[in-house]
Amino acid sequence: MQRAIEHRGIPTVSVTVALDITEHSKPPRAVFVPFMMGHHFGVPYHRELQRQIILEALDHLVKAEWSGEVRFLPITWAQARREGKAIEEAAGRMT
Amino acid sequence: MTAHSDETKQLRPGLWETVNERYPGSMITKDDFVPLAPLRKPLSESRLTFVSSAGVQPKGTMPFDVVHPVGDYSFRRVPSTSNPSDLEIHQIKYPTHGAVNDLNVIFPIERWQELAAESVIGGLTPNFFSFIGYNMDPERLERTLAEDIAEAVVADGADVALLAPA
Repeated sequence: MQRAIEHRGIPTVSVTVALDITEHSKPPRAVFVPFMMGHHFGVPYHRELQRQIILEALDHLVKAEWSGEVRFLPITWAQARREGKAIEEAAGRMT
Repeated sequence: MTAHSDETKQLRPGLWETVNERYPGSMITKDDFVPLAPLRKPLSESRLTFVSSAGVQPKGTMPFDVVHPVGDYSFRRVPSTSNPSDLEIHQIKYPTHGAVNDLNVIFPIERWQELAAESVIGGLTPNFFSFIGYNMDPERLERTLAEDIAEAVVADGADVALLAPA
């Protein structure tokens, strides 16, 4: 899919949680996050994290130097969940 | 590997091997890389599209066939102006407990709209593109669905594309 779009002259980047599948399918550019499947952009209501992952992907789109280059983000799923839980608790206290 | 060293590694390792062992030939393997297409203008002037295999679709459109034995090779257009409440998910192959509370965890449409409003990106294509990842024939996917979506992305005037293989 990604390769077909890149073939048409449109630069592409993907966000992946399955590094082994990415290594097999060889997309032009990818950003890997060590998150649960179905949670590529983080956790519910954590706008900053969702935005950060998108911005990292866009930055990789601009800066990647070779086809197949993967960027790794220094964030863990445990950290994302802790922050998401804190955001939900804070919202709960306000209501 | 220790639990600590795994923290920044894949949460569920061995996915490709596991699925390919269960369904031989269903997983994609490529031997080469495609040449990088250069950016034609700055991101702040580029129109972005988003392609997702999360099975997100506008309410009222034909649901993806999530129980077909070889998969559903169709796609849906998702207007980029949609509210999350306009959309629903039809798929059975990834956990959706995050997405049901906040669709942006898998289909960050509100973040895209904000980044376009802030001119971080030049704008959004009229549509985003969505399909389901459960497709057991990679050759057919490459020959039909991948080409169909790539054509639709070009027709929508995309300058750059971000993909999220769910």
